[in-house]
Amino acid sequence: MAPFKLAIQSRSGRVIASLDVSGDEAVMEVKKRLHATGKVPHPCRQRLTLLPPPGEKRGRVLDDDKPLSEYGLADGSAILFKDLGPQIGYATVFFWEYFGPMVVYPLFLLFPQIFYPWNKAPVQHSLVQQVACAYWVFHYAKRIAETYLVHRFGHATMPIFNLFKNCSYYWGFAAFVSYFANHPLYSPPADLQWKLAFALAMACQISNFYCHIILANLRAPGDKGYKIPRGFLFNYITCANYSAEIWGWALFAIGTQCLPALLFMLAGAGQMAIWAAAKHARLRKIFDGKDGREKYPRRWIMLPPFF
Amino acid sequence: MHRGLILGLTVRVAIMEGGSSADVYKAVDLPLKVAQSAAFLEIVHSALGIVRSPLFITTTQVFSRLWILWGIVVPVLQPCLAGSVGIPGTPPLAHLGFTTLMLAWASSEVIRYSFFGLKELGAVPYVSMWLRYSGFIVLYPVGVASELTMVWLAMPTISKTRMWSIHMPNAANFAVDYTIVCWIVVLLYLPGLPKLYMYMLTQRGKVLAGDAKSKQQ
Repeated sequence: MAPFKLAIQSRSGRVIASLDVSGDEAVMEVKKRLHATGKVPHPCRQRLTLLPPPGEKRGRVLDDDKPLSEYGLADGSAILFKDLGPQIGYATVFFWEYFGPMVVYPLFLLFPQIFYPWNKAPVQHSLVQQVACAYWVFHYAKRIAETYLVHRFGHATMPIFNLFKNCSYYWGFAAFVSYFANHPLYSPPADLQWKLAFALAMACQISNFYCHIILANLRAPGDKGYKIPRGFLFNYITCANYSAEIWGWALFAIGTQCLPALLFMLAGAGQMAIWAAAKHARLRKIFDGKDGREKYPRRWIMLPPFF
Repeated sequence: MHRGLILGLTVRVAIMEGGSSADVYKAVDLPLKVAQSAAFLEIVHSALGIVRSPLFITTTQVFSRLWILWGIVVPVLQPCLAGSVGIPGTPPLAHLGFTTLMLAWASSEVIRYSFFGLKELGAVPYVSMWLRYSGFIVLYPVGVASELTMVWLAMPTISKTRMWSIHMPNAANFAVDYTIVCWIVVLLYLPGLPKLYMYMLTQRGKVLAGDAKSKQQ
């Protein structure tokens, strides 16, 4: 293919660079060459888009793996560059946001003399409090293991600000729940209540793990397309993994009978609802039943029977 | 408008009629409660986009005033301010603080609303604009100092009576201590005031400079 000139400009219209490219060159190659000019940051901070069509705000984002010919670019074409800001790896963020709760929660159980200094009497923790701590630590250890062994990430990086935001959320809630669940004046619920609740909660954790396995196996390595999840709870619910997670935390709140744990569950459920609605809408849009594509089956989004 | 009433009442009772501070409190009591509580509408207007103020700044300002009024002055200091019960050692400061608080709040509201009102009519005299963008320089620090004085005076009573608090043990395994809540809000004043102050200073620079430019033309 004949090489042609491609202009890369900022949103204000200023031309940052002009490269001689060929149609079969991959977008990632262009990004590397841009970085090599010294005027543009590392490829994972670059977002390249086509110019927005008239009446729209954003142009189509150029996919790293696709060749330039995909996008109908010709001699004299221009594309837009946006700096996404300092980035950090997804797996790195996940590790730190899960490591915090795993370590912070037990602190309140193990060192009451530090966290409840006004309490002079020796603290005796009930069995449910110890079970709750073990459950909590297991939950976050499982999440870390899944990060490295199960999950396949759609994106490699996220903005570095997310590290602080996410860690504040997870670490903050861990301290909030743990402070009250391990409080010297904590009152345990009835035996049957907590034993049943935690048994069911463990079943939820196992279900959630199985859901993650199904999701990880949806795509072959390198395959970037969306697939319809099937099997197990996915036959009925689009984001069955979130469902299992939420029920698990609801049962944890019932088992500990601790209001902060309920608030933690509600906060998580709220955020997951937003993600689930978006994912459900995306899958329905892609699998519209036309041009030989499947039609996305009727399913609940995250929480039957209402949502 | 209510704020103007408060300002007027304060001035009249305190200065012209030579009334005691307790009389000032009794005079402004009801209009103050009505006017400040209605201020939450400012948040609604900002959220709906009817007004151009930034939502976060408006919410912060309104919430701090509502908290000072309904969370500190009314539940804790009212008996002392209305002259019926004394808090040992503090009455003069309480009355002074309350008066400066009223003057600061009422003055800034009168300036703000007259500016907004005239803006709607399309005819803003320079005095009004200058006051709106300069008054805060003195009124913010005076207002914040008065608000924090009210909190400082109320704290001993709040922690002694353990008011508005939930204690453990209880069935929900949860506790809230109003004393700690007050401390947290006070700590939020620390970054809050410089932020609001700088915001108004930059607004002042833009507006007064822009007006000077258009006058030159």
